[in-house]
Amino acid sequence: MAEVKVINGNMAAAIGARLCRPDIIAAYPITPQTPIVEYLADFVTGGLLDSSVSEVESELSAMSVVTGASLAGSRVFTATASQGLSLMYEPYFRASTLRLPVVMAVANREMISPQTLWGGPQDSLTVRDAGWLQIYVEDNQEILDTLIMAYRIAEDKNVLLPINVCFDGFYLSHMSERVEIPEQAQVDDFLPKYVPEHIILDPSRPMAVDPLTNGYLLTEYRLKHMLAQQNALKLLESLDGEFKERFGRNYGGAVEEYLCEDADYILVTMGSMTGVSKDCVDAAREAGKKIGLLKIRMVRPFPSDRVAAVLKGRKAYGVIDRNVSFGWNTGIIYEEICASMNRAGQFVPNIPFIAGLGGEDITAAHIDYAIDEIINHAADAVKNATVWLNREDKGKEDTK
Amino acid sequence: MKFISDYIVPIGPEGLHIVQTGKWRTRKPVMDKEACVRCGMCLMYCPVNSVKKLADGSFEICYDYCKGCGICAHECKKGAIKMVPVKEEE
Amino acid sequence: MNVIDKLAIYEDQISPGISACVGCNVELTLRTCMKVLGPDTIFAIPPGCMGGVGVVGWDKKSGAKTPVFFPLLDNVASMLAGIKLHYEHIGRHVNVVAFAGDGASVDAGMQCLSGAAERGDKLIYICYDNEGYMNTGYQRSGSTTKGAWTSTTPVINGKGGKKQNKKDFPMIMAMHDLPYMATMSPAYIPDMVRKLEKAMAVESGLVYLHVYNPCLTGWGCTSDESIEACRLSVETNFAPLYEVENGSFQMSVDVKNPKPVREFIRKFKKFRHLTDEDIDALQELTDRKIDRLRKLCTL
Repeated sequence: MAEVKVINGNMAAAIGARLCRPDIIAAYPITPQTPIVEYLADFVTGGLLDSSVSEVESELSAMSVVTGASLAGSRVFTATASQGLSLMYEPYFRASTLRLPVVMAVANREMISPQTLWGGPQDSLTVRDAGWLQIYVEDNQEILDTLIMAYRIAEDKNVLLPINVCFDGFYLSHMSERVEIPEQAQVDDFLPKYVPEHIILDPSRPMAVDPLTNGYLLTEYRLKHMLAQQNALKLLESLDGEFKERFGRNYGGAVEEYLCEDADYILVTMGSMTGVSKDCVDAAREAGKKIGLLKIRMVRPFPSDRVAAVLKGRKAYGVIDRNVSFGWNTGIIYEEICASMNRAGQFVPNIPFIAGLGGEDITAAHIDYAIDEIINHAADAVKNATVWLNREDKGKEDTK
Repeated sequence: MKFISDYIVPIGPEGLHIVQTGKWRTRKPVMDKEACVRCGMCLMYCPVNSVKKLADGSFEICYDYCKGCGICAHECKKGAIKMVPVKEEE
Repeated sequence: MNVIDKLAIYEDQISPGISACVGCNVELTLRTCMKVLGPDTIFAIPPGCMGGVGVVGWDKKSGAKTPVFFPLLDNVASMLAGIKLHYEHIGRHVNVVAFAGDGASVDAGMQCLSGAAERGDKLIYICYDNEGYMNTGYQRSGSTTKGAWTSTTPVINGKGGKKQNKKDFPMIMAMHDLPYMATMSPAYIPDMVRKLEKAMAVESGLVYLHVYNPCLTGWGCTSDESIEACRLSVETNFAPLYEVENGSFQMSVDVKNPKPVREFIRKFKKFRHLTDEDIDALQELTDRKIDRLRKLCTL
């Protein structure tokens, strides 16, 4: 029987990682991820986890240690946030281009400046084009479950790519809620042992790793890398059913559709804001407003076909981003969705929203406002004019 | 350009990448076996591992990869190795 | 077995043809080290001369017979730490070795190296110190000698050159309380072989080996004199050979009557503009350092 505990998001991540039995763990503490490092140290010291841990001196080394260990054939785990992820960038990019199935939890935190500690996925979204897979989750149960799925996807022979499981700092990392913890045997059944067959550093199988490589070969590697990302998307979709059968829970695959079937209007969310948004959608439905919710789970690769299929033919949609896309005057997910709709040859009136930056609350009032904007003003809104939900004037004065 | 489809990642398992450094040579070391006292300094200091020790204890210079640096001649205490200009026809 | 026989018998682990400069004493150092370390070795060649000359290979071919990889300039020791951790985790012995230039060790990679040293990751870290970024055209590094011409510390009308003293990196590493730290020279191969064998026998912690490798192309010196230049660096006490075992210092080659530093300095074009006063200052620095080192050896 699965055990039920009330735990915070960091503990959910640590337990999720523990259940996957990584051989090597290397992580460096940074708010709001720090407790993950402490919990894992406790597990190992207390004999609950047979991993070797490297107490690294920086995130650069954390990422480098897990890269080295993965190259030698270990299953690895690391976790970070914000500036830590930035410091990792050099080996981060490389873990993907070396096709190493590294699993990394990210307790999302805003990027400096100004000095900030609080939640928001600006950190990992900024590195979305570094070749990793990225999944963003809504609650603590989803953190734990997605980590288990993440290893299965990353190590799949048709994928072999590193993956981020991202959750909002503080809103999830430090918030406690009910989480079902699967039994070890269940996870062991779901997750076969990792055996590298594409790259290895082992004197019994000598090879060079990363020789100087010409562009024609690099082109080949990039093409296959992107195809592998698409394989990961397909696998995430198909694993959803298997996960449900084995563990009793599922998340919709690359996106979750909530009350979308008959909806005229769609609200697009990602991460921890989704919970309150669902409540607001429920209330709007009761008030006769035909709105549904689309939760983005996978950002890399972006599930563009599915997103476009959900949005096409609706009267309007809106996207709430807890991040900014510098240069576009909107949020990042909004632009991803615009690109998806363009690819599908679809246009639906829409409104980009930005809210919750630097960990500001996204309240029910904000979501209610956004829903009403989508329903009442999307059709006649100035195209791509962002509504800044946390501002009194909603940003209208400054972005005129 | 044809691709080998098995490769998904930059690895080099297909043998050694070898540069024909013997062609760089503008002068070559020539050993006077009579003058050689078999101290082995030439083998020890050759940067390209191009001096072999033979079964009879004598030493021999191999020219396949010798770059003609002149270290062996310079380090030989007995002056048993001379650097000789490589003729164009070689 | 004597050293000549060992070197004659041990298999060369590196491709017979790599495009290192003619007479390069780093190539000699690499081949010698890898012969001694043998086939049960995984080694890292970060960006630098040895990476540039093809030791990591080209396209689908390798430049070495043992597993070799190309870490980043600044994460050599950490990537190796991960590899070693894997092999310790599965209980298998493999030599995990860095062969890195001074840029990757003394400058950009120092944090990772210091971290691995402090944690006691069981690596053999070999730094070939050619006093700068020679592979990219002789830029200065933290390991460049004061006064030296480099492409980023140019000398124009007799003025210029590096303004600061060289970082004393072997001493910095020695202060990490390593089980074994040693300096080596390609002019002293038996000493180098002995130190490598000692390094391989260490069972606790990181071993740091620092090789002083005057660069023919970057410093301006003929290839014939490659080894002689290395020898002079030791005979002048400019780059003394010593080792530190569990905190205990010992001279490996005790030069009782050192030659003047001038003899070493005058070998290279990069020091050609130095005045007598400049060279006197380098002599003073050398004297002060060897004096300190000798005192450490008496402790």
